[in-house]
Amino acid sequence: MSFFSYKDVIEEGDLVLAFISRTDTKPITVTKGQILNTRFGHFKHEDMVGLKYGEQMEGAKGYGFIHLLHPTPELWTLSLPHRTQIVYTHDSAYIMQRLNVISGTRVIEAGTGSASFTHSFARTVGAAGRVFTYEFHEPRYIEAKKELEEHGLTTNTLITHRDVCEGGFEIANIPANFVSKNGGIDADMVFLDLPSPWTAITQLDSVMSKTSKVGVCCFSPCIEQVQKTVEALQEHGWINIELVEVSGRRWEARKDMIRDMGDVVKRLKDIQSRRGKGIETRKRGYLANGKRQLEEETDDSDSGVNKLPNTGKGFNPFGRGERVKEGDANYTWRNVTKVESEIKTHTSYLTFAIRLPC
Amino acid sequence: MKDRSTITENHYVLVRLPSAGMKVVELRKGGNIALGKFGAFNVDDVLGYTYGQSFEIIDNDKLRPIKSLSEEVEMKEESSEDVEAEGDEEIIKDRLIKMLSNSSENNQNIINIGSKIQKLTNEEIDELKKSGATSNIGQLIIQKMIEGHEGFDKKTIFSQQKYLKRKQEKFLRRFTIDYLGSSQMLQYYLEKDSSKLLDMSEETLGSLMTYSNVKPGGKYLLIDETGGVILYSMLERMNCEGTVVLIHENEHANYSALKHSNLSDDLIRSKVKMINWLQILEPENEKIDFQSFSEAELNEMKAPKRSQYYRRQKRANDINEVIEMVQQGNFDAFISITTLDPTTYLPFVIPKVGGSRPITVYSQFKETLLQTQHFLSSDKRILAPSIFETRVRPYQTIPGRIHPLMTMRGYGGYIMVGTRVFPKESVQAVGRGMGRRKTPKKDESSMEPEDSQRGETPYVPEDSQKEDTSFVPEDSMELEK
Repeated sequence: MSFFSYKDVIEEGDLVLAFISRTDTKPITVTKGQILNTRFGHFKHEDMVGLKYGEQMEGAKGYGFIHLLHPTPELWTLSLPHRTQIVYTHDSAYIMQRLNVISGTRVIEAGTGSASFTHSFARTVGAAGRVFTYEFHEPRYIEAKKELEEHGLTTNTLITHRDVCEGGFEIANIPANFVSKNGGIDADMVFLDLPSPWTAITQLDSVMSKTSKVGVCCFSPCIEQVQKTVEALQEHGWINIELVEVSGRRWEARKDMIRDMGDVVKRLKDIQSRRGKGIETRKRGYLANGKRQLEEETDDSDSGVNKLPNTGKGFNPFGRGERVKEGDANYTWRNVTKVESEIKTHTSYLTFAIRLPC
Repeated sequence: MKDRSTITENHYVLVRLPSAGMKVVELRKGGNIALGKFGAFNVDDVLGYTYGQSFEIIDNDKLRPIKSLSEEVEMKEESSEDVEAEGDEEIIKDRLIKMLSNSSENNQNIINIGSKIQKLTNEEIDELKKSGATSNIGQLIIQKMIEGHEGFDKKTIFSQQKYLKRKQEKFLRRFTIDYLGSSQMLQYYLEKDSSKLLDMSEETLGSLMTYSNVKPGGKYLLIDETGGVILYSMLERMNCEGTVVLIHENEHANYSALKHSNLSDDLIRSKVKMINWLQILEPENEKIDFQSFSEAELNEMKAPKRSQYYRRQKRANDINEVIEMVQQGNFDAFISITTLDPTTYLPFVIPKVGGSRPITVYSQFKETLLQTQHFLSSDKRILAPSIFETRVRPYQTIPGRIHPLMTMRGYGGYIMVGTRVFPKESVQAVGRGMGRRKTPKKDESSMEPEDSQRGETPYVPEDSQKEDTSFVPEDSMELEK
């Protein structure tokens, strides 16, 4: 039940998300005798038992660490084994908000894909709601079913192996605790992430709520798909058809060095004066001995080698040639935000519509 | 819980108007609701329909359900028995359809002569309007406007449809009754005064709820400066199971939006606990030491005094209960929508959040969250804080003419999300000084942002190796008394 409510302490058999770095979170089922190997060391599962969720864990060799996190649908989305393109949180969060998916909502999802959105739906509709999810690709169906069972989500989520475009959404033997009080599936929200949602739209009539407004969201990457979807929705009595696109950005707080132009001038002057001094020194050396020679030895080991005197590093206001850590107290910085180095410009088009009972 | 399917009496609902305007009204049985220039309707005529139903005002006190607000005139409708003096509605529609059938391939022949192109004068339109606030009059006006529009047949069919839609929005007496969910509540307040919601958009609200992992049965710590819109959104997702502790900075918390929520006061009181900042910072000072009376003493009291005693007792218990609840901590999330500076309050709320639970801070300004993220980067109790921005771009959705709209709302806000963790003392990061061969990446500890793999040096605050602050006893976080 870990996706439905938080636990405080890790027990054997728990699903734990090992946070290794921002881009690397590993899902593990805590099993005695097993070891999680990462590039930051290895971590014994049995040492995790009894630790608190959120606790930082030291590597078995005494260095390196990970954080042991409690699973949430959003963290799962970041760590799950991708079987298909997944619905990212920016999209899923908006879809659920806009179509008012809350505790108690009855959801249809086709197809299941990597079951990432299925996890979100299951969490949000809770014990009072139900999720009916369909997957036509058999290996993916088997994987997803196993995962949903392992994650304890089958209490409110029913997965069916089916091509809904061909076979529709009706389920012959719905388990009694999945039958609505109004009978059948009785969905009030439909999410279609299919190559041809327009063929599934025609199959929805018998499984939608007869007593309340039903919202649909079709998730398609191509505008040609949207065109066909909109036409099919219009034809089948859907209203308030609206197409949108969601863009999500992640920003990071960074520091940018303030480089004062006045310092540039000072540095140029410094270089100039040092060059002048160097020429001076060299001239004096030549004058004294008639050949290129140092006026004074700077280092015993260097004796006899033609070399200019070390006059120090000079004025170096921006740490040129040095490794300067962002935020180094010897320099001045301004706080800036930086966007991710690669952003998602297009996940999919979201076509929304509603239908009222006839 | 409340019925989300059927339009029910005594519920607050959202009324949408063709002009995209919105109204929140209470459906009192027998009541009459005025919609300004769109006319008025009787509450009893809309009860029992499903939420989302649109209506057309046919006569001042007569409604007809219609498919949608933007239902186009060429759509087939069941014929109505209401016949207007000017002629049968169907005939008007037929004429409109004929007009629309005469269109141009492109806009080559359109010459812009401004308003002169319309032969119907404003006076004439006003005259027509006065003849009644019904949809039939509206359609008649539209028909006359099209007839009086000299360039109408030179417009393309798409442009004609747009023209018609604009005029329908202006003259048709239509409205939709929507369920007042959190999105609708947000839209309503955004339209009224977006600054009240600190400019939060629907998509940002969705992200906030999702990243905060709000679900039934949770125990949440919330600062809500939107007058309760966020609180309502949480209660909606929680199905009123669980608890929200609402932190406020005044004598009383403001959650006025909940008065439209159709949730009973008792339910709200049992699920939402109020606490002010002073009570959080100085819990022992603020707890009420209530002098209990014995049975005998109570029996001697006069009735009014006794009830006053019970009131005081209840108030003391409530206050002590919420203070203790916050002292205990282990909240399932901390969510903040406020204009207070996050760097000033976060030190006091971080210890209250349970392990691996989210901390989400909303701000309308990215800069506020920027400072906050910098502030937290030296706090090892918050793992991987990030700033998220979500924007939804709306499209014109006409087959064959699909394109993004030219403008959209600019505001929407940002959220910063981090996870509460328990750092361990004496943890040594893999990194420099350990011998490079052991680590494939030169200078990276798992604590640092992952950006170094992209050739950037992550920002490591100089004091990030400072002593661990997570196990500071709760009391030391309190202010000196």
